[in-house]
Amino acid sequence: MKLSMGPQHPITGHFRFILDVDGDLVIKLDPDVGYTHRGIEKLAEKRTYPQNLPVIERTNSYCDSVGTMLGYLEAVEEVLGLEVPERGKYLRVIAAELNRIASHLYFLSLGAVATGFETMLMWTINDRELVLDLMERLSGQRITYTYPIMGGVRFDMPDGFKEEALKRLDYLGKRIEDYYTMAAKNHTFKMRMMKVGILKPSDAIRLGIVGPNLRASGVKADVRKDEPYEVYDRFDFMIPTGKNGDSYDRVGMRLKEIEQSISIVRQAVKDIPKGAFKKWAPYIVPKGEAYTRVESARGEFGYYLVGDGGIKPYRLKLSPPSFRNLIALPHLCRNVPLGDVPIIFITLDLIPMDVDR
Amino acid sequence: MLEKVREKLMSIRFLRRILNWGRAWSLWSVHLETGCCGPEDMARACARYDTERFGTLPFPTLRECDLIFVTGFVTKKMAKRLKLVHEQMPSPKYIIALGNCAISGGLWWDSYNVVQGIDEVLPVDVYVPGCPPRPEAWIQAIRMLQEKIKKEGLDKK
Repeated sequence: MKLSMGPQHPITGHFRFILDVDGDLVIKLDPDVGYTHRGIEKLAEKRTYPQNLPVIERTNSYCDSVGTMLGYLEAVEEVLGLEVPERGKYLRVIAAELNRIASHLYFLSLGAVATGFETMLMWTINDRELVLDLMERLSGQRITYTYPIMGGVRFDMPDGFKEEALKRLDYLGKRIEDYYTMAAKNHTFKMRMMKVGILKPSDAIRLGIVGPNLRASGVKADVRKDEPYEVYDRFDFMIPTGKNGDSYDRVGMRLKEIEQSISIVRQAVKDIPKGAFKKWAPYIVPKGEAYTRVESARGEFGYYLVGDGGIKPYRLKLSPPSFRNLIALPHLCRNVPLGDVPIIFITLDLIPMDVDR
Repeated sequence: MLEKVREKLMSIRFLRRILNWGRAWSLWSVHLETGCCGPEDMARACARYDTERFGTLPFPTLRECDLIFVTGFVTKKMAKRLKLVHEQMPSPKYIIALGNCAISGGLWWDSYNVVQGIDEVLPVDVYVPGCPPRPEAWIQAIRMLQEKIKKEGLDKK
């Protein structure tokens, strides 16, 4: 029997799945994408480089807007041959890592919805608000910041930000332990998550999965370590990896990554250098091309930019992490019970707007 | 016959007021996300902003809902589904358009796939500007809609 799931559904968001079911067993899953296609790549050709910033940001404005924009800025700055001041780089890293924490907390809240775990939903969203407050102090917005700009960041760190950040991060660190006790060690949660949607390392590499989903399968790959951008090579952090590659590991991966992000922000806030935080950047970008990749919250985000010596890009190609991870969904949703489909979908952390662009 | 009785009853201002009061304070919103304001939908429904104080509860089934939050831009593909969802909901039903994209296309004013203003497709009750609007603005929109509902059917005579 054919079954249609979404787009009006509490789990799927903007997606629609066409399921082939036999009783309770899902035989095949077809993701129906395109509900949020805006043509960002085409629009980017019509706008100037600074005007493109909010457009690119809304590829993944859900939570990880800074991580999304960094790659574009890296590409533009590579073509321009522009060096960002040290303080600007540190502020970018702080914003990106705070964003990653917020994004992972949002992921955990979705995981709570998928398992019917209302308490955890309230906890995670409330803790996410604390991080958003910090970002609001830094940039003046709650979720779409447009904080990094060409040649640095928009605003300097405000007074008292450091103390407030350290205080809140200490609190978040304690909360992570609470999450472990409440969710990761919870019997019901374990039963719903463990051995559901097992992604083997060989399959993950073959399908081209990126980000925390790949690391949950046990493959150590992180752009922050492999090919450090900004100032990530100066911080002491590790890449957590999972063992089994099931949904439980993918949730645990996010909890571990929040811990690492907290440690990075702590280090960055402590040894941030003094000086200028932005630099004047020319509007006209010379002829040239660049490919950059960054580690956004959902994985590796690739950008290919071609400039033709004008004020607008000639071509901008985006390769978002959710688009790469989407292929894992039909792969994992073969011969599973219907009740497992939301769990697999949520733990892959797919964002429809990322997929469609 | 029943219709006539109903009309007669509803013309009594006291009864109408009670009905409006009931409708205004139980606006359940359907879970349909169209654009990027989705996470704010979660933020306003959860611990800090908690719109359930005002009777607005996100609910999975559209048959029991009376409110649609149009969260952000609406693409041409989504507009058809939005209309379908609106048709399937029981009357009375209300729409709050959130974000500049839902009001007039916003950032996507020159996009080939985005509906330029959701009022081309559906009747809108309250518009909320912002990109995305803060949860406080959502709460204000809900309060404005409640004020509107409370006046319904009372302007005659």
